[in-house]
Amino acid sequence: MKLRRNLYVIVTGIVAGSLLLGALAEWMDAGIGTASHFAGNAQNAALVVLMCRVVAAVGVIWLGWYALRLATTITSITRLLKNDKMADSARLGNTKKRRSSNVLAEELTRAINDRLDGYANQKRELEKQIKDLQIQVQLSQRQKRNTEAIIYSIRDAVIVVDEFDRLLMANEAAAELFNFDFVNSQHKPIAELVDPANGEFVDFLRQSRQRKLRHTRREIDFSKQTESKTFDCIVSCVHDQKNQVCGVVAVLHDVSREKEISQMKNDFVSHVSHELKTPLASITAYSEMLSDGEAEDEQTRKEFYSVIQNQAQRLNRLIEDILNISRIESGLVKIDKKPASLTMLIEEQLPMIKGYAEEKNVEVISQKPIVFDQVYADKDMLSQVVVNLLSNAVKYTPAGGSVKIETEVDETAATARVSVTDTGVGIPEDQVEHVFDKFYRVGANKTQAEGTGLGLNLVKQIVEKVHNGRVFVTSRPGVGSTFGFELPLATREKVEAL
Amino acid sequence: MTAKKVLVVDDEIHIVHVVAIKLRNNGYEVITAANGAEAFDLLSSEKPDIVVTDLQMPVMTGLQLVEKIRRNEQTKDIPVILLTARNFAIDDKQKKDLQISDCLSKPFSPKELLRSIQDILYHKAVVQADR
Repeated sequence: MKLRRNLYVIVTGIVAGSLLLGALAEWMDAGIGTASHFAGNAQNAALVVLMCRVVAAVGVIWLGWYALRLATTITSITRLLKNDKMADSARLGNTKKRRSSNVLAEELTRAINDRLDGYANQKRELEKQIKDLQIQVQLSQRQKRNTEAIIYSIRDAVIVVDEFDRLLMANEAAAELFNFDFVNSQHKPIAELVDPANGEFVDFLRQSRQRKLRHTRREIDFSKQTESKTFDCIVSCVHDQKNQVCGVVAVLHDVSREKEISQMKNDFVSHVSHELKTPLASITAYSEMLSDGEAEDEQTRKEFYSVIQNQAQRLNRLIEDILNISRIESGLVKIDKKPASLTMLIEEQLPMIKGYAEEKNVEVISQKPIVFDQVYADKDMLSQVVVNLLSNAVKYTPAGGSVKIETEVDETAATARVSVTDTGVGIPEDQVEHVFDKFYRVGANKTQAEGTGLGLNLVKQIVEKVHNGRVFVTSRPGVGSTFGFELPLATREKVEAL
Repeated sequence: MTAKKVLVVDDEIHIVHVVAIKLRNNGYEVITAANGAEAFDLLSSEKPDIVVTDLQMPVMTGLQLVEKIRRNEQTKDIPVILLTARNFAIDDKQKKDLQISDCLSKPFSPKELLRSIQDILYHKAVVQADR
């Protein structure tokens, strides 16, 4: 490099010198006389002049040639630069492949190439960044879609409104609850979209926003056409970076069923307490009468003692039944299922029932079919069922009547069926469907016999809940009733599977 | 002076029985009914001086019975005492509207019931005497 530079300097020096000499030569030529004393004699002077002229000419020609070459190089570089076909990272090729390299042109080419390389690199970098950003955008969009899908699929209704109470977002459950179409409703004021009957909810949203509460909760009733549902509404304010409220999110959870269950529990408790207080009232009243001497003769006193004892037993039975039913309903009771023959089970309970029936002068008829009537059951529980049905039948049958118990097997349906038919007082048509309800006692028959009102409910729980069976009843007032249950047979495969 | 007549209404026979004995032992005449409908029929034929009734009964409940009593021109002034295990079934406003003289909750004391009947009939007699 340095050599080349020096060469340039030398050549430029020679050219400059020769031009000067040429000029000098002209001047000498013009005034041969004045210059002659420089040269010595005239011939020498002419030779010097000629030499100077030649050098000058050579110099000028070289200069011209150099300038031309420079111009050509620049032109070809320019042409290359302007070439559209140039690839992005193209570099300028060597324009000249000559031995005698044009240093300046080379430097220019190199500088341009470096600059082009730099730009090419930057371009690659930027392209990479663009790709990264695109991927990020796609990811964000997919995340947004996922989040939306999650929110839309939540069973609870979710509604988002902005700081002006306009709808921003609502999931499917919300659209269904409030009966609006989200696509058309976006950005409309929520008050317009919600049925005026449900204004309490809109007010609740607004109040929460105004009070800037982070989370508030309220139970609100919603009426939709015919039905009314209760929702547990949790409203949260959304704050932006400047801690201003920029929106409100409401999540509504349907608690209607829970409230219903809670109400049923309350009803049950109140009902139970009434049932328990009744025999207790007799016990306390009769006890007080005895201690106040209101029972004047021995007969009356005996009567009072008897009532107290009976009512105490009644109270005890009631408590037992309630506990049994509660235990079965909450799944706390230990179930021990084994294959058992229904007929044999019934046989075991008959002596006790027959004894009770004889006192009332009621006949008990049973049969012993030779059929495969094995069911997969808890023996104690099923025995309780049989006892309840039989004792009910006897209880509500007047003297001289009869109670019949039968077992049938339906092999195609693989079920075993037990029916208890009595010639008793029967049940009015409008009350038949309620007999299996808790504490239900048929009004007209209450005077016939004592009862907790839980016996049949216990039967239903045991048969249906514990053994997957079915209870049934048919009745004609004044003629009699048939109560019964069906259970799936314990087929051989099931038995072997035990 | 003729004995005062008490109508006792309850579907629990033991309750009716014990109240009847207590009242008869203390000089009252007692008629009984097992539900609201029976009771209302007896009202017109027997004309009791006071009614003691439970709330939860078949056919016609205690509340329905009292409403009927108050609406009927002949019976509207008969005092009523409630004797019930369900003391939350009726609130103070209802008691006032239906002019319930007293409300005893089960389990109850026959002595207290007697005292209540005596008080109410005494005051009624005083009011009537003043007229």
